[in-house]
Amino acid sequence: MNIISAYFVLFCAGLVVLYYAVPRKWQWPVLLAASLAFYCMGGVKAIAFVLAAAAAVFFAALGIDRLASLRPEEGADAGSRAAFKKSIKLRRRLVLTAALVFCVGMLAFFKLLVPRAGARFLSADSLIVPLGISYFSFMSVSYLCDVYYKKIKAEKNPLRLLLYICFFPHITQGPISVYGELSGELFREHAFSYDSFSNGCMRFIWGFFKKTVVANALAECTSVLFAEYRGYSGLSVILGVFVYSVQTYADFSGYMDIMCGLCQTLDIKLAENFRRPFFSKSVAEYWRRWHITLGAWFKNYVYYPIAVSGWAQKLGRKCKQLFGRSFAKNLPATVALVAVWFLTGLWHGTGAGYIVWGLLNGAVIIISLWAEPVYEKLRTRFKMKDGAFQTRAFRTARTFILISFLKVLPDVGGLKDGLGLWKRAFTGGMPSGLSGLLPFVSDKRAFAAAMAGVVLMLIVSLVQRRGSVRELMKQKLPFAARIVVFALLTLAVIYFGVPASIDAGGFMYAQF
Amino acid sequence: MDRLLEILRDVAPDADVENETGFIDSGILDSFSLINLVSQINETFGVELGLEQLVPGNFNSAAAMWNMISRLLEEE
Repeated sequence: MNIISAYFVLFCAGLVVLYYAVPRKWQWPVLLAASLAFYCMGGVKAIAFVLAAAAAVFFAALGIDRLASLRPEEGADAGSRAAFKKSIKLRRRLVLTAALVFCVGMLAFFKLLVPRAGARFLSADSLIVPLGISYFSFMSVSYLCDVYYKKIKAEKNPLRLLLYICFFPHITQGPISVYGELSGELFREHAFSYDSFSNGCMRFIWGFFKKTVVANALAECTSVLFAEYRGYSGLSVILGVFVYSVQTYADFSGYMDIMCGLCQTLDIKLAENFRRPFFSKSVAEYWRRWHITLGAWFKNYVYYPIAVSGWAQKLGRKCKQLFGRSFAKNLPATVALVAVWFLTGLWHGTGAGYIVWGLLNGAVIIISLWAEPVYEKLRTRFKMKDGAFQTRAFRTARTFILISFLKVLPDVGGLKDGLGLWKRAFTGGMPSGLSGLLPFVSDKRAFAAAMAGVVLMLIVSLVQRRGSVRELMKQKLPFAARIVVFALLTLAVIYFGVPASIDAGGFMYAQF
Repeated sequence: MDRLLEILRDVAPDADVENETGFIDSGILDSFSLINLVSQINETFGVELGLEQLVPGNFNSAAAMWNMISRLLEEE
């Protein structure tokens, strides 16, 4: 189902009515039915795959949990107890490994093998990539690992686990929720609250505004930029790179606002994926504030397992003997970071551009980690105080520029084009006049509306530093004024957003 | 305990290492410094901290870290 459509709005409205109309113990089954219906609308065949995957994860987790509850026989001696403990540990690890191979294997199959070999070996009809496979694979991995490390108990009801895996607000673009947090929200009973409902509606329409008025209008400009950059001046290309950065943010965070808003109307708190990322003062901080749940997933299920593993720790100790303490102290973290960023690149796409993009992000973070003593000296030398406005502004601008140029690299059409665009940006010179500054803008009216939207997003972000904008509005504005704000946003979506969305594709992150 | 405090002073030089109760929750230890800390604890005390131990409750204060290390040494 296309989320930017009247059908989706009606689907959500129907869900909200039904959700509060049924007895509260039936609320989560209503969500499950809605999620399965949503999934079926994207292709009935794929649902069988999701059901099979959920069943496999359910039984594997139950097995891991059951093994952990086994105890040695009464009166067994110390040797037998140790052997029993060892055997249980091994069997639990085997079940976990098999289940992880299954989850990662299905992801690799659909994301890596099918696009390459599929065209040769499979008919077009059989090439069904299940909707949101990256997201439900990652959630399955986190669930299995959390059961294995005894952070949570395995779910005994398969339908509850199925809802966690295919909950429609997070299935297509995340957030990548962890079971321990989301299950509490999904399975408790929810009473209707006007505050939650009105706040949810406001955020829902704000998401539509960001996606349709800002992202879709800017997408038209950047698609022209990516096709025509060879004929543009350097300054125009640089401005286009920044426009693309804002477009991706409006697109992805717009989706999150729509889904978090919908969940809020249902009195469900969904994990946040963004925390004003363009205010970050380093690339590492940016990645803690952009696609937060993906970063947290990689940190918990790739970075830490590698960094604390026996071999990484051993490598650190060996290098300490050979090269000294200061070299060795960041080594386990560095090895883990390289793996994380290679996989992050691969998760976004299988082309060389995505791998290079991932590794470059990792390189910037690793260099910052290793060069911190040098940065400290430079800050002292230039008398830059950490909290000073100039220092913060410089670091924020530097991070935005770096991130924007990295982001554009794989998306132009491939690594070669990405590098070509970088080259053009720095060798293309200045435009002949002011009229040639933004050659990629064809619809000036839509672009002006998008820019007004960007200014509004900036103001909202600045206000958010003091607290929730909707709570502040509630305190400062009368009810009628808040209705006017809601109506104006709706009108902007209808008047500017709908025309800009006619030829626009879906959400950018849905492809992952 | 003194050796642990020494390690903490090295990893988090600006923190009040003896009285701090939110090394993880307050963000004093980030994912880089946490791994550095784990490496130093492993080496100094001859233990092997694994993912099971990597939870905020074990690292929020020097006392919690010391309890975790003592527990692991007892198990060995």
